[in-house]
Amino acid sequence: MSELQDLARKLLEEGTVQVVIGWEAGRRGLRPVTITDPSDVEKLVFDTRSVHNLATYLDPRRTQVRKLGKPAIVVKGCDTKAVAALLREAQIERDEVVLIGVRCGGVVKDPAGDATLTLETVAPRCAGCDVREPHLADFIIGEEQPEPPQVTSIDERVAELDAMTPDERFEFWASQMEKCVRCYACRQACPLCVCDQCVADKTVPQWIERSPHARGNLSWHMTRALHLAGRCVGCGECERACPVGIPITLINRKLQQIVAESFDFEVSDDPATASPIGTFRDDDREDFIL
Amino acid sequence: MARIGVFVCHCGENISRTVDCAKVSATLKDHPGVVVSQDYKYMCSDPGQTLIKQAIEEHDLTGVVVAACSPHMHEKTFRRAASQAGLNPFVVEMANIREQCSWVHEAGPETDAKAIEIVGTIVEKVKNNVPLETIHIPVTKRALVIGGGIAGIQAALDIADGGAEVVLVEKEPSIGGHMSQLSETFPTLDCSQCILTPRMVEVYQHPRITLHSYSEVESVEGYIGNFHVTVRKKARSVDEDLCTGCGDCQAACPSRKIPSEFDAGLGMRSAIYVPFPQAVPNIPVLDRENCTLFKGRAKGREKDLCGKCKESCLRSAIDYEQEDTLIDEKVGAIVIATGFKLYSVGREQPEGLKGYAEYNYGEIPDVISGLQFERLASASGPTGGQIVRPSDGKVPKKIVFLQCIGSRDPEKGISYCSKICCMYAAKHTMLYRHKVHDGEATVFYMDIRSAGKGYEEFVRRAIEEDGANYIRGRVSRMYRDGETVKVVGYDTLAGETAIFDADMVVLCTAMRPHKGNKNLGRKLSVTYDQYGFISSAHPKLRPVETTTAGVFVAGACMSPSDIPDSIASASAAASKVLGMFSGDELEREPTVAVVNERTCIGCFNCERVCPYGAIEHIDVCNRENEVCGHVARVLPGVCQGCGTCVATCPSKSVELQGFTDEQIFAEINALLTW
Amino acid sequence: MSEMTEPINDFEPRITAFVCNWCTYTGADMAGTSRMHMASNVRIIRLPCTGRIDALFIIKAFERGADGVIVSGCHPADCHYTAGNYHARRRFIVFRELLGFMGVDLGRVTFSWVSAGEGAKWRDVVNETVERIRELGPFDAYHDLALRQAAGAASGTSLDVPDVVAPVVAEAGDAS
Repeated sequence: MSELQDLARKLLEEGTVQVVIGWEAGRRGLRPVTITDPSDVEKLVFDTRSVHNLATYLDPRRTQVRKLGKPAIVVKGCDTKAVAALLREAQIERDEVVLIGVRCGGVVKDPAGDATLTLETVAPRCAGCDVREPHLADFIIGEEQPEPPQVTSIDERVAELDAMTPDERFEFWASQMEKCVRCYACRQACPLCVCDQCVADKTVPQWIERSPHARGNLSWHMTRALHLAGRCVGCGECERACPVGIPITLINRKLQQIVAESFDFEVSDDPATASPIGTFRDDDREDFIL
Repeated sequence: MARIGVFVCHCGENISRTVDCAKVSATLKDHPGVVVSQDYKYMCSDPGQTLIKQAIEEHDLTGVVVAACSPHMHEKTFRRAASQAGLNPFVVEMANIREQCSWVHEAGPETDAKAIEIVGTIVEKVKNNVPLETIHIPVTKRALVIGGGIAGIQAALDIADGGAEVVLVEKEPSIGGHMSQLSETFPTLDCSQCILTPRMVEVYQHPRITLHSYSEVESVEGYIGNFHVTVRKKARSVDEDLCTGCGDCQAACPSRKIPSEFDAGLGMRSAIYVPFPQAVPNIPVLDRENCTLFKGRAKGREKDLCGKCKESCLRSAIDYEQEDTLIDEKVGAIVIATGFKLYSVGREQPEGLKGYAEYNYGEIPDVISGLQFERLASASGPTGGQIVRPSDGKVPKKIVFLQCIGSRDPEKGISYCSKICCMYAAKHTMLYRHKVHDGEATVFYMDIRSAGKGYEEFVRRAIEEDGANYIRGRVSRMYRDGETVKVVGYDTLAGETAIFDADMVVLCTAMRPHKGNKNLGRKLSVTYDQYGFISSAHPKLRPVETTTAGVFVAGACMSPSDIPDSIASASAAASKVLGMFSGDELEREPTVAVVNERTCIGCFNCERVCPYGAIEHIDVCNRENEVCGHVARVLPGVCQGCGTCVATCPSKSVELQGFTDEQIFAEINALLTW
Repeated sequence: MSEMTEPINDFEPRITAFVCNWCTYTGADMAGTSRMHMASNVRIIRLPCTGRIDALFIIKAFERGADGVIVSGCHPADCHYTAGNYHARRRFIVFRELLGFMGVDLGRVTFSWVSAGEGAKWRDVVNETVERIRELGPFDAYHDLALRQAAGAASGTSLDVPDVVAPVVAEAGDAS
């Protein structure tokens, strides 16, 4: 822990950055914090409850964060994929941010819960983690960690849905969609939702019905997912932010599968590898086209 | 408030036979926003158009829907009419109730209902149409012609004679192209060089033509009327301003055994050389790959091994240190005239082609290509126009010509007909007989294709007057048999094997596109077909235009062409260019994308999908006037209006004028709320 | 005998077609010029290119009561704009599978390439789609999703909002 705090203090004192974005202990578990005063660095913590994808605070439209000055953010390997996406899509410049990478051995689902990693508590996204080492970071700190427990719950649930009849799936999602209150917490939590004006807020024309009934909600969730196709880093923050418990990650996971199967593509931490949507191959599959 | 006029056409009986036009008109009269709805027998006729014009004035219409045929048929007609009545043409739309309704359904209430829905939907769209202004683009009245063969020469001269400046880029040391290699040309048998070289000189001396020979197009940026072209002028190792073309360097060069490209390998040239005596410009080029001095340097020799050409030059024009130079040219239009190359018959073949190993080309010296025969028959050729065998210099008494080598043979990789071979084979038999009176010329053919003015008569002359022996069939095998070449074929009309002992065999090889076409196509965003020939914008209606506005195409780079065809297409391309240059500005339909710079987040997904490179980055500044970001902007001159960027933009910050989200939204709503 | 007693299916599907101007629209015109008879259930919306088609068009059509949707454009390599259909194809690969995952029967969405010369193919695409949708029946389920509202919100049940968004960020201020 002192390694993280020392580095943060040094970066702040030397003026390399004006703010360090990391985690602190809050009322209920860990929560994000911004540190601007070197004397506050003792607040910084990192453990298995450092769940949040802090890359979301790099969105240049978050003016409250931006006006604090040049940031350093603490990132897990998985979080660097989101940073890479922001770099790739020209939302931030690499020299505008300092990345403090921490070696991570998995996080829990709930930052307010038990910090012990077990098959029950571990976040599903940690299974098959391919960025244990945050290569994109400017500094990599911490000891090498053991591999987290492997849960395959998301893939299993996607497969369950795939096995249903269309009508059963339709009913499943209809019952999920009718819960949505359109608070847009999923959008706010997503590090990749960076539009100034979201299509869901556009009224002329109003493609996405604004009243929170299942039809408009389905349109919103499909549009959100499509905009993330080939981009979603699978951090699961949308679902964790959802106050009514819609299993949004199932949709995201399904899209990851589609993109992987159709275009042989997986989102990586390489800022130079662009989404497969926006390009094409002459021999893309068209078995579904008459 | 929208004030829409609806005009339902009977199209004689074409529509009214199955659609109750009066009912359609009457129903639409009650549609919200419609102030006048009429039906008439022929809307496109003069009285029909007058009816629309009167209604526009009388009812002060804000939009017009003509329910008639396909917009592809008459949209322009009705937009023009509306514009004559003072209405913006882009608030006029057509509802297609003929091709997509009356002609495909039986009469009945369902068909009437469909017609009413179609018209109502377009009314809803038109309510969201906004007046658009034709786009004006400034135009640089200067053209780039790529390729200095006969097509490029013709295009350059026509454009320059029309008063515009021309930049002509030729990758070889001399202009002239393949035509300069030919002996005599069908169907008139006039000498190729006699008709070509005056034109080459004309190009060189023309006050409005800038010639960059031994140069290639490096990159192209910009759009119609405003292209920025970078030309790479390759190092000749000879100062063009100092050289007088005296030829002393050629005479001094000790490397003299290099197969001459111009003579199709039948003659030799020196390392520093002028490709042929009539070359334009008449300035030698130093072939560094075959030069003793440069070969030595490449091997790391410190001391130069030769320097004879430099010593011989009285003007000190030889410059071994010369490097490639890049020249920037600003032009308004581009003509692609890169010509062709020939199918190579040998064993080594580019991808997808199989070659003709069974003919032993390259192994039997007396099996030659058609172009080699041209050089043998040419007065300026390696033999001074004497037709002799490459192997022993004897006059061949029996020549067998094989047509369709490579062409019309999907097995060998090319399905198309090479078009010129029937004619040049006939010509070859005549040239041969005119020079070797007792010679026997035999032609193996698949079909004789001699469509063209004077062409069929020409082939008949070859057969009837000059005694060429035509055999319908293919040759399966050729091999050396003593001094002769054994040709084993099959005469399909006689139904028997045809075996010849030939002194020489000429393979009439297919025209193929240059492999550089694909690269050039990408630089210019121009499409090419499966073979690599440049594609026309439309095969019938826009033959010399390409998919990129302002880029035209001429000659054999788009398909196999003979000389008259190449010249015709070159003149056509030139007239298109001159038409473009006739005003100070170009006019474009305003169906282009427009970015809302306020909501654009600068992700540039639009740039990734744009097929035309029409997206540019523009700076966004903060209050202190510092650049704080970038957003996209569409170059209206480049955009062709496909709308792919619109569907790609996550924040819906791009709109396509004429097909806006609002218009489409209104259409979807209208269709499904009836 | 059992065939005789089956009820007559008098359901007339409502189908929206999004087609490109250069190939399929012209192909549909050609079907007309050739007087090919076909079912009258399809309404065409003309767009410049399949590349212009946003998934939201299709979603909106279902919302508004379409029983089926046709998307059709130029064959690969034939695109008037050289590549719009290739980009469209990628988007449709993803969107179609997503629709399926959300429970929309994929029989309700037809994708086809119909060139300007394929009037007969357009007729077949139309007739086959109409017949397929006739079998599937009306798609009121999608339209009626609007009747299903958040029961919790309506009844005033408190929602457990977890501590997810950092307190330092006041998003309302970002709108400027």
